[in-house]
Amino acid sequence: MKALILVGGFGTRLRPLTLSVPKPLVDFANKPMILHQIEALKAIGVTEVVLAINYQPEVMLNFLKEFEKKLGIKITCSQETEPLGTAGPIALARDKLIDGSGEPFFVLNSDVISEYPLKEMVNFHKGHGGEASIMVTKVDEPSKYGVVVMEETTGKVKKFVEKPQIFVGNKINAGIYLLNPSVLNRIELRPTSIEKEVFPKIAAENKLYAMVLPGFWMDIGQPKDYITGLRMYLESLRKKSSAKLSTGSHFVGNVLVDESAVIGDGCLIGPDVAIGPGCIIESGVRLSRCTIMRGVRIKKHTCVSNSIIGWHSTVGKWARLENMTILGEDVHLGDEVYSNGGVVLPHKEIKSSILKPEIVM
Amino acid sequence: MKALILVGGFGTRLRPLTLSVPKPLVDFANKPMILHQIEALKAIGVTEVVLAINYQPEVMLNFLKEFEKKLGIKITCSQETEPLGTAGPIALARDKLIDGSGEPFFVLNSDVISEYPLKEMVNFHKGHGGEASIMVTKVDEPSKYGVVVMEETTGKVEKFVEKPQIFVGNKINAGIYLLNPSVLNRIELRPTSIEKEVFPKIAAENKLYAMVLPGFWMDIGQPKDYITGLRMYLKSLRKKSSTKLSTGSHFVGNVLVDESAVIGDGCLIGPDVAIGPGCIIESGVRLSRCTIMRGVRIKKHTCVSNSIIGWHSTVGKWARLENMTILGEDVHLGDEVYSNGGVVLPHKEIKSSILKPEIVM
Repeated sequence: MKALILVGGFGTRLRPLTLSVPKPLVDFANKPMILHQIEALKAIGVTEVVLAINYQPEVMLNFLKEFEKKLGIKITCSQETEPLGTAGPIALARDKLIDGSGEPFFVLNSDVISEYPLKEMVNFHKGHGGEASIMVTKVDEPSKYGVVVMEETTGKVKKFVEKPQIFVGNKINAGIYLLNPSVLNRIELRPTSIEKEVFPKIAAENKLYAMVLPGFWMDIGQPKDYITGLRMYLESLRKKSSAKLSTGSHFVGNVLVDESAVIGDGCLIGPDVAIGPGCIIESGVRLSRCTIMRGVRIKKHTCVSNSIIGWHSTVGKWARLENMTILGEDVHLGDEVYSNGGVVLPHKEIKSSILKPEIVM
Repeated sequence: MKALILVGGFGTRLRPLTLSVPKPLVDFANKPMILHQIEALKAIGVTEVVLAINYQPEVMLNFLKEFEKKLGIKITCSQETEPLGTAGPIALARDKLIDGSGEPFFVLNSDVISEYPLKEMVNFHKGHGGEASIMVTKVDEPSKYGVVVMEETTGKVEKFVEKPQIFVGNKINAGIYLLNPSVLNRIELRPTSIEKEVFPKIAAENKLYAMVLPGFWMDIGQPKDYITGLRMYLKSLRKKSSTKLSTGSHFVGNVLVDESAVIGDGCLIGPDVAIGPGCIIESGVRLSRCTIMRGVRIKKHTCVSNSIIGWHSTVGKWARLENMTILGEDVHLGDEVYSNGGVVLPHKEIKSSILKPEIVM
């Protein structure tokens, strides 16, 4: 079985992290974002994953070679020379997705983190016998999104309503599709929207069905949602009684620490913290609701909350970082620095406090 | 004869331009910054240029291959694995700079734009018979810099004073040196400062001489100085009666336009404007004190002053850009947008006005 992951563009919303690597390679819960999806696909028997990309193909291709071997799954690229929208890339990758077997193929948006109940989705797809299945997720504020209006019992999709003014439903497109090869005949190789052009046609023929995603879902393409997404992800690890979560008096709530990270005495870590490979958290440090990427050193007595600290950065002693502070790669904060929502681009040294949210370039 | 160009670091002050290319490859007056220096070196018979780099070596190496052939000069790299300061890189490149001929070699800072009177400097060096020559330039506010105190008649350097509180002189280090191979014995392969450690020792032995730079000089490592530097550079072209400057009723002051750029009717361009290859300036456009990089399209009736427009960007109709607006690569401003000092990172679309100086990421 095959899958296409829509990797797409520049990842500007996740800057400054995406100034160092393309978005799919930004780490989430201590592994590249796209690896979460590739592993979920491999687990249900997908043998080939195609990445639809249009930015920094060399970096993605290097990543592929490294992980193809490790994961034992074939990974290839399909490169857009012009932006093709949300459906065009599927047409572009046509030859890679059809293998004559007639089997459906997955299409995933790369920004999404979820439970990935892909096996259940395959069964659902076979059950309804339609041409395409789409995963939907419940949200509190549907008016901000594209709502999928469907029959509750069968899941048959009636229509899509973009940012509805009145209540039409609370299920939105979760960015996970399972499509029969025949769908490829409906997509022209030009900039095309899957929600506005392709799916409505399939729905009109009563051949599109939606499955409600059990479990968590988050579009982690911007820092605020990335941090919320980590909370959800760690909570789902907790539910599965994962041994990966840290235990002990220094930890509160759900915390994920890479085995090569070192944590000093007197720290209090959590809730909702991920600490990456090679990190050094010195003694007396307080971390909550934050991600500490590979190779970071946090010095003594410092307090970090609701922030993301990028690869190989250092944070000085008695520092205080909060309110969506984002440090890019190789950023060095001095001792006793306060950052209230500072967003710092890579390769910078910060010696004075950032009192209100601002970008430091 | 050989030369070393200190290319160095991350170029953070020239962001967002340096988010797309390393600083030496940022265009100035329609050619990569470093090319101005390499051409000046070749013109006086330098046969090999070594680039001391520590960031994005692959990009620099690709550049080299392209220009080695075009220029007919050997270009190699010396890569720092840790930052070595302002003198350490010279020690690192030792083997490339000594060829047994006993000839002195040049060392240049890459951010500098000037007249490059290198032939005069060689004669000056031979004339005084000392071990090292340094180019100095006159400034109005010496207290902001490192001042070189020297005998007026001979140029013999007495001492260096960093940011002097009282007036000790108004000549500062212009970042152009001519050194005998024996200077290499004075520099250890560790982070070293040429102004604080190496030159003072040579001066104490009465072997360091300074020559006052005739003509213009500017450190163009930040946008404000880049724009001032362009004014100086174009003025020097004017003095040499260069045919490269544009003439005609649509131009005022000094303007440099690449031959492949297209300028529409009713435009008024200048003073102090550089327009790069492949640019399209539609009709009725007003440009002053700005740099328009390769492949930019400026639509009708727009007014741009004191700004830098990055490669392949577009600016809509009836737009107004002023006060140090810097657009990175591939930025697209909509019609009727106003930008007062907006600094926009690459690959962005701007549809609403930026009313006060701010970074858009």
